[in-house]
Amino acid sequence: MSMIGHRADARLLWLRNVEETLSIINRKVDKQQRSESQSLALTLYVEGREGFFYTNVFDEASLRRFVERSLAMTRLLAPDESRTLVSPERCYRGGGVPLLNCDDSLEEVPTSQKQSMALATQDEVMDRDSRIISVDSRYVDRIHQVHLLTTGGCEVSECSSRCTLSTLVSVRGEGEARPMDGWGQTRIFLRDLPTEGIGSVALERALRKVGQRPLPAGRYTMVVESPVAPTLLQPLLSAMSGYALQQHSSFLEGRLGQRVGSDLLDLLDDPHQVGTRGATYFDYDGAATHPLRLFDHGRLCTYFIDTPMGHKLGMAPTTQGTHRLIMTPSVLSLQELLCEQGECILVTDFNGGNCNPVTGHFSYGIEGFLVRDGLYVQPVCGMNITGHILDLWQSLVRVAGDHDPYETELIPSLVFEDVSFC
Amino acid sequence: MLEYYAERTETRSLELADGLVSQVSQSLMQGVGERELEGESTRYTYYMPQHMPEWFAPRTSTLPDNVSEEVAVLHALEALAREQDARVIKVRAVVSSTLTDVSILNTLMEQPVHDHRERHILHLHVVLEQEGRHEMGFASTVLFQPVMRSNPSAWQPLVQRALAQADHLYRAITPEGGDMPVVMTAGASGILLHEAIGHAFEADFNRQRTSIFSDRMGQQICRPHITIVDDATCPLCAGTSAYDDEGIPSQCTYLVHEGRLESYLHDRISAQHYGVRPTGNGRRQSFRHAPVPRMTNTYMLPGEATEEDIIHSVKKGIYAQSFTNGQVQIGAGDFTFFLKTGFLIEDGHLTAPIRDVNVIGNGPRALADISLVGNNLVMDSSAGYCGKAGQTVLVGQGIPTVLVDRLTVGGI
Repeated sequence: MSMIGHRADARLLWLRNVEETLSIINRKVDKQQRSESQSLALTLYVEGREGFFYTNVFDEASLRRFVERSLAMTRLLAPDESRTLVSPERCYRGGGVPLLNCDDSLEEVPTSQKQSMALATQDEVMDRDSRIISVDSRYVDRIHQVHLLTTGGCEVSECSSRCTLSTLVSVRGEGEARPMDGWGQTRIFLRDLPTEGIGSVALERALRKVGQRPLPAGRYTMVVESPVAPTLLQPLLSAMSGYALQQHSSFLEGRLGQRVGSDLLDLLDDPHQVGTRGATYFDYDGAATHPLRLFDHGRLCTYFIDTPMGHKLGMAPTTQGTHRLIMTPSVLSLQELLCEQGECILVTDFNGGNCNPVTGHFSYGIEGFLVRDGLYVQPVCGMNITGHILDLWQSLVRVAGDHDPYETELIPSLVFEDVSFC
Repeated sequence: MLEYYAERTETRSLELADGLVSQVSQSLMQGVGERELEGESTRYTYYMPQHMPEWFAPRTSTLPDNVSEEVAVLHALEALAREQDARVIKVRAVVSSTLTDVSILNTLMEQPVHDHRERHILHLHVVLEQEGRHEMGFASTVLFQPVMRSNPSAWQPLVQRALAQADHLYRAITPEGGDMPVVMTAGASGILLHEAIGHAFEADFNRQRTSIFSDRMGQQICRPHITIVDDATCPLCAGTSAYDDEGIPSQCTYLVHEGRLESYLHDRISAQHYGVRPTGNGRRQSFRHAPVPRMTNTYMLPGEATEEDIIHSVKKGIYAQSFTNGQVQIGAGDFTFFLKTGFLIEDGHLTAPIRDVNVIGNGPRALADISLVGNNLVMDSSAGYCGKAGQTVLVGQGIPTVLVDRLTVGGI
């Protein structure tokens, strides 16, 4: 900051990541990677102009050159009065209770211990079925530290971590097909990371895909399994971005306060839950975060408005985006939901597709199972669902209570009626 | 084998929105990746020294000083778009320049090899308003020289492409879904090769036996008039480089030669596994990543049919024209691509415009179902990004017009 002096308003982020990845394939170490990186992200505001600069070259002479070039580059831009630092009253200035979402000890744990955990998940699977082709078990962890400083007087730090154990199993299917599926668990603290059950679930999920084929085209009740349910929320969240609204490229433009989904579309972003992934007190622009209701029984409650979009749209800033999404669950298990439906298609994965951000028309590839009265009748692949994303969310009729509390998107399994499959 | 990969990358991105070029982002990153190979096992780390090793030899250390030219081109793109279509209400244009110098040294080499990679990518988004309804069109292009006003042939075509796409969407319908013949337009339809077979030919999947093509080497997998290559030497193609990221000289590899599976795409590890020479396909996003087998520029050689003949051969199907994204499930072979624009084909003629549907196929089946190959090979000039193993790299693709006898088209 002293190199910048009074020549500009500025926001400086210092970022440090420590990561370790281990991959064990068929009981042999395929890859080990351990690394530490640091970088600086500098945002400058010079006479109504904004520039963003990023480097990992820190010696003093290089940093001076970096700052001088950044100032000069920013001055070449057109002035835009919307581009300013977050106002002081919106800045987070510390004082929140500790979020307890960083396991500092990850750096000290020996690689051999992490490798043993990956091997343990693999040993659950190896030689359990003659159709197994390959088993890939991974351990991944990451510590992320950020220190934010602005010329407006904000100075805050946070640290977060995650560690993941996962296994991917490939099995021999019909003909040349080699169905593959996996399972994993993620925690903040290594001491909480389970090793049991991951490999077994992965194998079970891979084997149940043998014999996949398309069903006749038609309209079916669709049950979307919890781990992939956030895929269907993403178009809504993208359409809530201030930038999309300002560019007239959002199908949610002009819909604030309106009912856009069924009563069960009830969604909160809560970044302040202690000891959870996604928890944070500030966005990277320095603004304090707050719990924010996104949808209230189907009604659109807010947009994601940052400082520049607030200026341009004449709206009060809210947040840059989501942190920890929570959809109001029920107490039902996935199996109970399936039993309720009679015949339905359980979607366990999406295979490509997209949603038009301007109109909301979507088309996604899916795979999963035809389920009757709770029994898995036929593995399904090679089908698309097509429609309008708001019509889809209007057709949400049931939610389960099976979301994974250790994820950043706590979305349970969902039931949509009368969906077009082909 | 011990390998060092030293890299210095500078990027700059200028964005025009609301008539102002008021945003810039610029970065300077450097580091060294260190890889130790023992059999098929990789140990990888990277570090970011304040002083790069002496053997690192960047050709140049700064991006070209042509910001005023880039700003002028962004404004010119907006002016042209508004001039050509009165319905334009928003224009967003971005020029991103990347200059990367790499030096690679390993214990098998006597001297390091050096490569200099320069790319300039233009993106253009236009939003049109007609009777209160909005539609967006998009186009991009990869350039190999700095963007200059004096070279309008490099950037002006974006305007027409983006406007045409948005205009198409006003008239387009969602087609009836189902299995049907699909005529894939020349150029952009290279996504078919990329998703249907390209990833499944990457040899890491095959040495692990998880690809649907793992047992097909040397077999006839499609009609004999089909030849597909991956060519990192293709001039002015997005995935071209002098060396891959393991220091192997770039080359053209025949993946399918006259219908027969000829080669996978190899890095050093898979080449050793199969006892063949590396094909120069070990690529990485940056020094932060170990290389893995990746496509460079993948395309099909031209056949003999005309596009007109191919369309005339279809009684009822679709003509696929532009795409946004695709993906593949390596083991099952099921691939998808999202069709942004196209047309119905009825009785051998293009009829109603169509939009926004996902198309699904199975790699080996789709390849075997390519029955006609056009004589009009086009390399796609758009910026194509490919993701694998948490790494994104630029790739090139190309194809002549082809007929796939059956794919599953999303629809209502």
